[in-house]
Amino acid sequence: MDEVFVIGAGMTPFGKHPDTTAAELGASAMLEALDDAGVALKDIEAAWVGSVFQGMAMGQRALGEGGLSGIPITNVENACSSGSTAIWDAALAIRAGAVDVALALGVEHLTGRFRGAFTPDESDVEAQRGLTMPSVYAMRAQRHFAQYGTNSEQLAAIAAKNKRNAVANPLAQFKKAVTVEEVLASRLIAAPLHLQECAPVSDGAAAVVLVSKRKRAELGASRAVRLAASVLKSGRAEVGLKDMTVEDLTWRAAEAAYEQSGLAPSDVRFAEVHDCFSIAEALRVEGLGLFPHGEYPGRVVKGEADLDGRLPVNGSGGLLGKGHPLGATGVAQVVEVVRQLRGEAGARQIPGARVGLAHCRGGKAQGVEGTACTVNILTV
Amino acid sequence: MVGLDEATVTKRPYELEGGLVRLRAGRCPECGAVFCPARLVCDGCGHRGLDEILLAPRGTIYTFTQVHQSTPEFATPYDLVYVDFDEQVRVMLPCAGEETPRIGESVEIVLGRGPRLVEGEPEEGPQAVMVVKAGTERSDGNG
Ligand SMILES: [Zn+2]
Repeated sequence: MDEVFVIGAGMTPFGKHPDTTAAELGASAMLEALDDAGVALKDIEAAWVGSVFQGMAMGQRALGEGGLSGIPITNVENACSSGSTAIWDAALAIRAGAVDVALALGVEHLTGRFRGAFTPDESDVEAQRGLTMPSVYAMRAQRHFAQYGTNSEQLAAIAAKNKRNAVANPLAQFKKAVTVEEVLASRLIAAPLHLQECAPVSDGAAAVVLVSKRKRAELGASRAVRLAASVLKSGRAEVGLKDMTVEDLTWRAAEAAYEQSGLAPSDVRFAEVHDCFSIAEALRVEGLGLFPHGEYPGRVVKGEADLDGRLPVNGSGGLLGKGHPLGATGVAQVVEVVRQLRGEAGARQIPGARVGLAHCRGGKAQGVEGTACTVNILTV
Repeated sequence: MVGLDEATVTKRPYELEGGLVRLRAGRCPECGAVFCPARLVCDGCGHRGLDEILLAPRGTIYTFTQVHQSTPEFATPYDLVYVDFDEQVRVMLPCAGEETPRIGESVEIVLGRGPRLVEGEPEEGPQAVMVVKAGTERSDGNG
């Protein structure tokens, strides 16, 4: 199988863009990625576009706005992993030798579209009984509390860390650091999770240009970052009474990614993970094998996941600080990893980083552990 | 269309027994996995067609939350729990009562209005199933 490289990355600011359309956001991210890669519209052979709530043919609308049409465009919906699934698709096409240059774009415009909490699809029996996305994670948090002695202050420290990191990211939605006390003083959404522990409603887009080894050499792309592993898995059916603090889905994706890249968890220098809620970051990082099971919240309090810690987690601000425009999220994580590995992360730069991991996992449907999960490992 | 004429798909999702609710579920005759609601095919082993069973009308709270923000169809706050049944299946249900639910607590399955605000909705169907603490006195025979 051919090797895959990321040679261009682009991303709009995340936040509220009430006067901008999803197509404009998507076009903007795409054009920035193309300019960053030093390629033209005509060089893109195929595109995959992830979004969740944007209606029919988001890809054609965004790419058309940016002047790109006629090539194969595939629209991807895979809950919060839609954008990272687009990357997986694009990488697969390059690995198969079908194309040499592919675009993966993620885009979402949610301002004005939602009231209240996100829920599973309305046909879902748990949604009909009152389940919301925050309540799923709240119930998993209660188990983490009961099994490992985790507490609300520790979870609040995860949110405070990510919002602090976001201050150093000019593209982040939140511009202000918050203290643990302020997190705990924000209103309850689903006990024990407070407002500041839940990812916000956001608009934004992110894009990457992926190429084959041959094309990379031809272009002389000196700032290329290698996509050492790209894995997509879906959640298995829930059979029996499973431990809800264990992310089998995350581990299966991670295990395959470690194998594909020939790397171990100990090789990972930093990670961007799917912190849709404070507790979610703990479940992900523990599921990825990056911290011992049950210990992550306590380690965050000790600073181990800070930008200058043993293993920085969500140095971009994560979903909690940077924002969470669903379809764009997974691509934006990879954009961040690329910028860190190139040494272009500015005030949040992790010195000497050579291996970064991006984890994206989202959605909920009754009877399965999770809907979709991707793990991408990038190296220089 | 394989399996779609199976009565288990559309039947009322429970039976009433002495004022308590026994949820309808499916058990795989091949590997024994239990699904609630039932499915067409066993996700454990791929066997087509599950045997219909009724779960016991009581279980144990695995975890819980109090929901303070929801969609407009629900009156907040309300409690949710995951209940573990002896049949080795876990089901999410709303929880009635004043006290905060606790992990490990025994609960009974009943019919009730639940947190839904939708006008004129009959007090049956999947959304009318909820749990109360075991031993809670019921006002009438139907919960
Ligand atoms: Zn089976």
